[in-house]
Amino acid sequence: MIAIQTADVDIGALIAAAKKQGTGAVVVFDGVVRDDEITEMELEAYEEVAVQELEKIAGEATRQFGLLHVDIIHRIGRLTVGENILIIVVSAGHRPDAYSGSRYIIEEIKRGVPIWKKELTRDGGRWVPGEHGHGSGKPQ
Amino acid sequence: MTVKIRFFARFRELLGTDIVTEVAPGAMFSSLITTTARKNPAGYAAIFDEKGDFHEFVILMKNGKRIELTDAAKTPVVDGDEIAVFPPVAGG
Repeated sequence: MIAIQTADVDIGALIAAAKKQGTGAVVVFDGVVRDDEITEMELEAYEEVAVQELEKIAGEATRQFGLLHVDIIHRIGRLTVGENILIIVVSAGHRPDAYSGSRYIIEEIKRGVPIWKKELTRDGGRWVPGEHGHGSGKPQ
Repeated sequence: MTVKIRFFARFRELLGTDIVTEVAPGAMFSSLITTTARKNPAGYAAIFDEKGDFHEFVILMKNGKRIELTDAAKTPVVDGDEIAVFPPVAGG
């Protein structure tokens, strides 16, 4: 499943579904709202483009690392400390490919998928700065 | 002809989003964004520098495809285009 959504997901169910024939390893990445003296976090996406980018990243990870299954669910809307922001579940025959595939996916998301975070505090809010000079991958 | 401009994140807060606007045939990408951003000085300053050039961190898309800042002045918009303007991404 590749999705941008407000709802949380059942990670246990995703793990169960990721155990395709030949699976020897499942790696789960769960990015959560950190307690950086914030009250909430607000996430926003250019949804149509973000989903397309996530699908491309999942496809590339599958090709490069021989993954058997990929889920990427990025949440948007208002989230509180400790809530899931991003869940990546990958499976592969062996752990090196599962770890590498998962790492590839999160780094590519950070590099180029149009999603933004605003940390809400008692005094207002601040947009989390993206990496300067990056932002939406290479021109196409 | 009609085009839609979508600002995101800080730019959206300052300028709004899903702005549907009438433009003259032959209008260029950068001039359309300039005209739209001028409606709010803080929004304009967030996207353009004092010389009127895009800040180098600004990202532009036309119909979901990236446009280089240096090409924006020579890229025409056409009827039905969706233009997106946003700061560096910070997902994950």
